[in-house]
Amino acid sequence: MDNFRKMPISVICLGSHPGIIQSMLDYHYCLGQEDIPIMAIIGSGRKQERYFWGHSEIVLPVYRELSTVPKEIRDSVTCLLHVQSARRVLSGLTEAFKTLPKLTLVNVFAEQVPEAHAITLAQLAKEHNITIAGPASVGLLLPGVLKLGAIGGTEYPQLVAARIFVLGDTAVISTSGGMVNELIHIVTGSGSGVSFAMALGGDRNPITTPAEAMRLAQTDSQTKRIVYFGELGGDDEYRIAELIKEGTLTKPIVAYIAGSVAELFPEPPQFGHAKAMAGSEAETAAAKKTALREAGATVVDVFMDIVSALGESSPATEPQEHRQITTRHKRLLVSRISGEVEGDVQLLGQDLLGVVNGNTVAGLYLSMLLGQPVKASKLIEFMDYTLRLLIDHGPYVAGAVNTAIAARAGKDLASSLSAGLLTIGPRFGGAINSAAGVWLEGVQSQSSAKDFVVSFRSNGGIIPGIGHKKYRIDVPDPRVVKLISTFSGNSNDDRFLSFARSVESVTTAKKGNLILNVDGTVAAIMLDLLESELYYTQERLQELIDIEFFNALFIASRSVGLMAHYLDQRRHDEGLLRLSDEDVSYIP
Amino acid sequence: MPRQKLSEYRAKVILNQALNLHYQGWQIDGTRELKPQLKGASETSNNLVIKVDEGVKRRFKQGLVLLDIMPEDLEKGIQSLLRKGYRYLIIEPMLAHDPHEERYLSLSMHRDGLICRYTSSGGVDIESQATDIKSLFIRPGQQAHELAKGAGLTQQQLETMRNLMADNYVVFLELNPYVSREGNLYLLDAAVEVDDAALFFVDNWKAVDLRSHIGHELTIQERLVQELDASSPASLKLSVLNPNGSIFLLLSGGGASVVVADEIQNQGFGKELANYGEYSGNPNTEETYIYTKAVLQLLLRSQASKKVLFIGGAVANFTDIAKTFAGVMQAIEEVADKLQAQKVKIFVRRGGPHQEKGLAAMRTLLAQYNLLGMVHGPKTPLTTAVDEALKEAIYG
Repeated sequence: MDNFRKMPISVICLGSHPGIIQSMLDYHYCLGQEDIPIMAIIGSGRKQERYFWGHSEIVLPVYRELSTVPKEIRDSVTCLLHVQSARRVLSGLTEAFKTLPKLTLVNVFAEQVPEAHAITLAQLAKEHNITIAGPASVGLLLPGVLKLGAIGGTEYPQLVAARIFVLGDTAVISTSGGMVNELIHIVTGSGSGVSFAMALGGDRNPITTPAEAMRLAQTDSQTKRIVYFGELGGDDEYRIAELIKEGTLTKPIVAYIAGSVAELFPEPPQFGHAKAMAGSEAETAAAKKTALREAGATVVDVFMDIVSALGESSPATEPQEHRQITTRHKRLLVSRISGEVEGDVQLLGQDLLGVVNGNTVAGLYLSMLLGQPVKASKLIEFMDYTLRLLIDHGPYVAGAVNTAIAARAGKDLASSLSAGLLTIGPRFGGAINSAAGVWLEGVQSQSSAKDFVVSFRSNGGIIPGIGHKKYRIDVPDPRVVKLISTFSGNSNDDRFLSFARSVESVTTAKKGNLILNVDGTVAAIMLDLLESELYYTQERLQELIDIEFFNALFIASRSVGLMAHYLDQRRHDEGLLRLSDEDVSYIP
Repeated sequence: MPRQKLSEYRAKVILNQALNLHYQGWQIDGTRELKPQLKGASETSNNLVIKVDEGVKRRFKQGLVLLDIMPEDLEKGIQSLLRKGYRYLIIEPMLAHDPHEERYLSLSMHRDGLICRYTSSGGVDIESQATDIKSLFIRPGQQAHELAKGAGLTQQQLETMRNLMADNYVVFLELNPYVSREGNLYLLDAAVEVDDAALFFVDNWKAVDLRSHIGHELTIQERLVQELDASSPASLKLSVLNPNGSIFLLLSGGGASVVVADEIQNQGFGKELANYGEYSGNPNTEETYIYTKAVLQLLLRSQASKKVLFIGGAVANFTDIAKTFAGVMQAIEEVADKLQAQKVKIFVRRGGPHQEKGLAAMRTLLAQYNLLGMVHGPKTPLTTAVDEALKEAIYG
């Protein structure tokens, strides 16, 4: 326990249980700790979850698997909260032991973990020198240091009422989650404090056994005495008795062993906890009480006699000093882009005017779209060039036609612009985002361009970013030539552009016009620059693709072009544009 | 219910298959039409054994095993057992053998290995000859020649049993008796307990093969709670001890519920205790409503002259008191007039998330219908609150 109090607290949660997670954050906030102790959540469905740190909202990142958690987090994690289902305890923890080198403390919350899995985990935990509270445990509490699990309560008023912010001298060890809390209240209510509290869980084979928990209490410099809640079933109490007899366990113990009521039942009853069933005489509460008593522990028959057995202390009345939490409410929306701070508008964490004065249009556009201030000049230059490059491609293309039709139908600017923008999709304007997805996938797959093209074709797809109506391998697109000559030579060896070009060499061997087009080139270079200049990981690049960042480049630029067509049409004011009979082939 | 008995039929199918032995046995479900189920057994030329297959202990002594039944008397024998209120039976061919051939073996899973007990003189009275039983502990991977020899098994057969236990999440395996003749095994009786938490991980047995016997027939309310428990991520348990008891419990938490029941027993009023049960793991409002309704049905039916309901639990870590109490209160309100007519008093002691809201609402409701005994929060010790309820039940 002394070591646990000294180690840095850095928690990862396997699965999400908002009540428990929030209560852990609250406890650590109340202690006055500076750093948020929970690093990440492993779960599915969301990318982040919102919690409170004191009165301000924070987001905790959510990862699908342990392996996708950034290495620096994995390397720092010392504690793990497992709140997934019982089925996933063995597999989840086995992986955690391998991927989290500093893992020291674990709480397993799930009930109904197979005994055999718990036994396997007990061995693995021993090999890795990890202490596990559970399965079916509400966790471990080190007053003033750590609350790992639901232990002590999940609401702020409960934490206050339990008086667990300050270290005491009495260890509370219990096979029951409800009773561990009850005992904490009894100990702190009587004026003493808790040195540590551990819920072992009511399974037949808890990973940390009662006897092992006693050893932890014995070697803990803060613990002067131990309160223990056990139950009928199993033989754990005999191991405790042995420890006392052999002199390993010398600190005074007050114990209550529940289950004498079992005598009333015609057949040995199975109580609520998995282990709480006495299959033989030795497993009854009475037999275990006798064994503990004979060894020298103080065993009470009536539960409340624990209070007198613990001895004289004046009841505590004053609440303990801690950072307080008052009312707070969850916001409807979370934003990293902008907001008001003390009445002033900020963009990306900076004062609006400061941002405006300190940026070019391209720099600001890119910063806003990436959601972070960008200063890398090569990247901004590329953004500037791209914004110019994509501004228009003639009045013939789908978006411009739609804008013009709407304008000539007498619609206003916003409607006409929207009509044009609504055309953007898989066949018009959407190719940059899809091309970025393809280049990223290609580089990640590490397959040759040839294999990649073959597998793409066999799945029936045309490759976005490849192909042009007019330009061919022997008549290159001058825009592509310009882009490549200006913006290649990046520190990642242009690996996305290189991949795109090797794909091009495969496709042009089949047909001369299957060249790398502007969309494909912009996508590849943007990927290269984000990786080289901003050190984006592949996960972050993938996220940009998922959220359609690359389409935003096109839309940002082309919106201006579409508005130009709208204004142009308004100036001409030619009236409604409709198709003539010659334009439509009617096939009845 | 984590450790549960497997039906003898399923246990034998698994054992014989693993040991590569021919097995002939038939399972009878008394709730289904008998004729089609009897087809195989009635066509054998052997005389038969019929046994109740519900995890009941001491079947022989209770007359739940019928030996040497001729195929034509099969149906009569079956009916006689079903009439005693049992549902599942197992039928097997009778194996003629000398009682001196009967052996006993049990393998029981422990944290560090297997506890093995065996004797070459097995049979019905195994408990009375405890001194004759040898006991051994084998660790995982450890060879056990002595055990194999002493139990009349080949090394291979013993290994098969060990593997079978691991593969099928068997926590206890008892063969009593069995006969070993020159390497051939005849498993006359097998009792197997499995870890029901492993249901998801096994193929050889399913939930329908589990037989847990609680010593009396389930009441409608107990069965209802069992079904509720099976379909919920929360835990809900109920067993009736004395249908005409005067103290009824509606408890939360696996540990606290036993403490409360202990307290009643300690105070010398165990006989007055009508039921044991608990809900935990943050059940939803509907679940606590159904659960409470079941307990109240039992309470209203009790013939005791003075009746109390104790609603209690420890200071919950994460179970929402306001939400769980909402269901409890709904069920109370539905039968409030009946409870009032029977002069029932209700005592409450509970703590946990949203306790103020839950306890205040409960107090108001109980006062409104004149059912209020006491309502306490976590400041009053759990067992002190129990004592108050006891006083009302016994002297009130």
